[in-house]
Amino acid sequence: MLPEPSSLLEARGLVREFDLPGRGLFGPRKFLTAVSDVSFAIRRGEILGLVGESGSGKTTIGRMVMRLLDPTRGQVFFDGFDLTALKGRQLRQQRRRFQMVFQDPYASLNPRMRVGEIVGEPLLIHDLAHSPAERRERVARLFERVGLSSHDLDRYPREFSGGGRQRVGIARAIACSPDLLVADEPIASLDLSIGAQIINLFASLNETERMSILFISHDLSVVRYLSDRVVVLYRGRAVESGPTPEVLTNPAHPYTRLLVGRDQAVPVEPRNGESVSSGLCPFLSRCPDALPVCREVAPEHFVNDGGGRDVVCHLAARQVLWTPSSSSPSIQGIV
Amino acid sequence: MVQGEDLSLLEVRHLSVSLRTREGEIRPVSDVSFTIGKGEAVGLVGESGSGKSLTGLSLLGLFPPGAKVLSGGIFFEGLDLLAQEDSALRKIRGQRISMIFQEPQSALNPVLTIGTQMRELFKSHTDLSDDRIRECVSDRLRSAGLPDPERVLRSYPHQLSGGMRQRVMIAMAIALDPHLVIADEPTTALDPTVALQILTLLSSIRESRTKGLLFISHDLSHVRRISDRILVMYAGRIVESSPSRAFFETGPLHPYSRALLASRPEGTGRTRKDAPLPAIPGQVPPLWSLPTGCAFAPRCSRADERCRTESPPWQSEGEAGALCFYPDTTPLGAPLHVA
Repeated sequence: MLPEPSSLLEARGLVREFDLPGRGLFGPRKFLTAVSDVSFAIRRGEILGLVGESGSGKTTIGRMVMRLLDPTRGQVFFDGFDLTALKGRQLRQQRRRFQMVFQDPYASLNPRMRVGEIVGEPLLIHDLAHSPAERRERVARLFERVGLSSHDLDRYPREFSGGGRQRVGIARAIACSPDLLVADEPIASLDLSIGAQIINLFASLNETERMSILFISHDLSVVRYLSDRVVVLYRGRAVESGPTPEVLTNPAHPYTRLLVGRDQAVPVEPRNGESVSSGLCPFLSRCPDALPVCREVAPEHFVNDGGGRDVVCHLAARQVLWTPSSSSPSIQGIV
Repeated sequence: MVQGEDLSLLEVRHLSVSLRTREGEIRPVSDVSFTIGKGEAVGLVGESGSGKSLTGLSLLGLFPPGAKVLSGGIFFEGLDLLAQEDSALRKIRGQRISMIFQEPQSALNPVLTIGTQMRELFKSHTDLSDDRIRECVSDRLRSAGLPDPERVLRSYPHQLSGGMRQRVMIAMAIALDPHLVIADEPTTALDPTVALQILTLLSSIRESRTKGLLFISHDLSHVRRISDRILVMYAGRIVESSPSRAFFETGPLHPYSRALLASRPEGTGRTRKDAPLPAIPGQVPPLWSLPTGCAFAPRCSRADERCRTESPPWQSEGEAGALCFYPDTTPLGAPLHVA
């Protein structure tokens, strides 16, 4: 199956397992499945929101998309290339086209480098400036683009506030004019009055530079404001996806309903290390609407073709709007 | 004055606390006054560095090294807390005023079971028999929404999820039936669905026990769910104190509170395609180089020359009040609904 032409990035059946300690020499391998069979696509010029609680696998997915982490199974296509198969120089060449903005602007900037050098480094590595003077000129323009002053070039990260540092992180990420930004909780560690400034900066990068953005967040109201489509993760699985306004105002999955505050009658919290019986719905132990079939059969993808939505839940089968998807795991719901 | 008013549980009067730092002496709590009535829940909102956490810690007499009370008083049930000996304060702490921290992970002892830690609490503050203590401990865990207390009591903190640990913290905070509970960002480290449950729990504790609650948070939607009154801090000062309804429905008085509320996309139905978020320009000034006049003036759309030179007065509007020359009394367009 070839990747969809309209999508810039396509993740197909991503699985990531992490080994757990405690394996004996001949004992069985113990592992934790952080991400289980997740598929989604990001179209050109689109902002896709990835929401979920901590431990839902959203950061792991972001890192796999960036090729900072190899998937155990599954593929990531970027503009037609199978990223998961690229290596060495080819990977480095492609890498300037997708860049990451990290959550913690304190930990992700080298404290011993001047911010001008930090932002100029990608230009140097990818050989995008012909002379040091040109590089400095371009870095100054990047600074202005993200709302910093070019007088700040020779300062160190510690001299900036949290918001200022995050702007430096964004300037570095957009230095090579990437097609895709992966932003992992970029405003979670920022002050209240600064968050809105950074959200506006992402919206403007998308609007004027047509950058596609994978926006990873647990903050629903921000995702609602910023993203065109949303993927809702629960314990490593994509339980629902579709256009943001529809999914968040009319959620189909019981977990999404809980997340948007529609349903507060769900008493049980997930327990640490509680294992999900293989294949069954990950939300089963908390679900207020679980059917007998939920305890026996794994739910499949149901799509609402007209609405471009996809939900993995048996309840959807009871509603006329939803039809089972022909191929599973499905990306049909979002094409 | 030694005697607080009859209905007030806690009264903080003109409290100023200084702190020695590398940048010099700063004043993270500056002329702070507020009251908490019996059965009242007060939400204290502010950004990092606004002084909200230190204000909360002051109420327990817990000051970080280098901190000094410059002036003012804290009166709890008529008792001047700042004049108490350490031993008297220790009795009040935990028994009559208790605290819930943001990170239950670091507030619980990792090498003791929950049971040991909870029993210890009763042993050090009460004369109850071991059997009676066991009953009390289970009872408190149940009221904190932990249906299987036996399992929790045998557990070590790391064996519980973040939400369960926060419930244990709450069970410990209400264990000795205190009159005032201070919760410092109790929902910040939690996942959104769990945070909602904890808010519901905190709210029910207050209703059933006619206690006072000081809820410190930077999250306006959480504060709204729980508070009768909203206090807003900026650069060490309380810049607004308004009834929750007035604050969220008519609109806050202080331009900073208004700007904070407006900069969140919550409940507006707006998306990036409609308009950019009305962000507050600039950043919070560091406490060691505060501007003269109003600290918010450089970022304020209503500020004029006067705001940049003179300290603003406290101006009241019914039960609401703000530290501002030009409080904003225009009603908000439509009532905001926080999701």
